[in-house]
Order: sequence, then structure tokens, then C-alpha cells
Amino acid sequence: MLRAARGQQQALSAKRLWNVVVFSVGGVKLAARTEDVEGVSSWAATIPVPSRTPFVQAMLKRDNHVMPVYDLAARLNRVVQGEPLLCLVARHLDGPMAICIDAAMPSLQAVNPASIRPNSSGDIESLGVVTIGAQDVAIVALQRLGRLRQDAVSS
Amino acid sequence: MSLRGRHNSAGTLVEAASFLVVRLGVNYFALPATGVRGVLTQEETGHEEAVTAAGTVYQPVNLAERLSVVAKLSGSERRTVLYSTGQSQGAIAVEQVVGLIDIERKDCLPLPSQFQKDERDWFGGMLLHQDQLVLILNLSWVLGELSGVASVPVRLAEQLVEATPASVGGAC
Repeated sequence: MLRAARGQQQALSAKRLWNVVVFSVGGVKLAARTEDVEGVSSWAATIPVPSRTPFVQAMLKRDNHVMPVYDLAARLNRVVQGEPLLCLVARHLDGPMAICIDAAMPSLQAVNPASIRPNSSGDIESLGVVTIGAQDVAIVALQRLGRLRQDAVSS
Repeated sequence: MSLRGRHNSAGTLVEAASFLVVRLGVNYFALPATGVRGVLTQEETGHEEAVTAAGTVYQPVNLAERLSVVAKLSGSERRTVLYSTGQSQGAIAVEQVVGLIDIERKDCLPLPSQFQKDERDWFGGMLLHQDQLVLILNLSWVLGELSGVASVPVRLAEQLVEATPASVGGAC
């Protein structure tokens, strides 16, 4: 009975774990909740679009669909690394958005929400920072990526 | 823009829109065809700043500069598009005139909401034509009718989009 209760408790805490995709941009390790990621595929040439929105200056065409590109590397003052580069499609509140990430294959991790700390740097929209391996990794709030910047620019 | 009915292969009446597609640098732009008053070669425009045609003066519009697009306007395919919205006229230099296209209204797509700044004034939407992304120009802005008018806040624009069929196509 005690064993059963412990098993239930473990199942409950397992349910509470956050599944995150760990990826890198210009060598900087970042994470995102799996439900905020539509998919990862190979990067393709983008179409520049005249724009004054910071870091949104291009679109990516896939079959008969186009989506805006968010230049996360430029936002972080980094240059994406490796060949072939990968495309992470974010489930942004305004619709799907493509982000170019390093060639290093993203991995899946389960993190305990209790271990997530506030991101003191505040340089990117994030859900907090978590230690993965021995590294502090920001969990990027992909759904609202760009909005902090927009607010800062417009205020 | 030119909106007219036409029949599709199933015999159903569909609303179509006509555009003149032009190229500036690596970008393709669509101008609603109803406002096009003429397309001139460099020899026909001469070296005058403004172009006079049928008694109307068309002041030059440097679209490439306004959009911060790198364009090579010295090539042999350069053309000047004479355009009138009814209120304003302009002579728009382009690198190349691709041609006139008719597309179904449902194939006009709104600019994604992630584009939040001045470009919402510049473009009325976008479309895909022969595998190319074509941005639909807002000629009121191109011809300076919107100068001094504040952009519609993007959240309000989103509400307007949500309230119209444009959110699922039909942005033109």
C-alpha cells in the first residue's frame, strides 16, 4: 500500500516535470518548452522583407506556406554555428515563426519546475533559468518572443 | 485594386484581383492594376524629374529608398510605372516589370502579425506567385497619402484582421 502510494506520488511528480527542447544559437545553450515548438528541420534560404520590426526582416517559404523569421542569433549578438543549420519553428502567439539555430542536434530534457529560477539578465523573453548538466540554460518563452523587445523599442 | 468576378474550373464565380508585379533588388512587389496608367522605358521617361502623360504630371517616387531596398536602377530592364490612386500620382522606378497577374482574392494573405512596425503601412498583404513571395504595396503610402498618419496599432490591426476574412486569405 505504501509502495503504491509512493508510485502514485512519483507518477504525479513525473507529470509535473517540464519537457524542454535544448538547442543552441551561436554556441549559447537555450531551452524551450516542447509544446512551444512545432518542429525542427533543416534551414532553407530566406526571403528578405523590408521591415522596421527588430529581428523580423525575412520570411521562410515551405511548400505553399510562408512564415516570418525571427533572427534570434542577431538578438543575442551571436552567429549561428555549424553545417547544416537547423530551423526551429516556434508556436508564437501571432502564428508559426522560424528561428535559425546551430547545427548541433537539439535534445529533449525533463526539468523539474521547482528547479527553475528567475532569469535575472532579462535580455530575452524567458520562463526562467534551469541548470542542465553544469550549465545555466534560459528557457525561452517562444510564444512571446520579440514582444519584450517591441515594448522596449516602443516605450 | 481591380476586383472582378471570374469563373474557376468548377464553374463557380470567384473574386479575382489584378496586379502588376515588379522587382526591386531581390524583392517582388505587386501594385493593384487599376491604378497603373502606363509603363515607360528609360528612353521614354528621359532625364526629366517628373513625367507628364496625358496632361497629368507624375512626380518621381524613389520606392527603393523608401523601403530601404538595394536596387540597381541602371539596368536595361528598368521601367517607370505611372500610377494614380485618383487622389495622388507618381512615377515609380522599378528594376523590372515582371507582368500582370490575376489572382483569386482568397490567395491574398495578410502580412504576419509578427511584423509590427512601419511595414504594416507599406504592405497591404502578400501572395505567392510562381514560387515567389510578392508583397502587395499600399499605394496610398507609396504616393505619400499616409505621411503624418500614425500606424494602426498592431493589436487593433489584429482585431480588424480577426473580424474580416483576411485572416484566412483575401487581404486584397
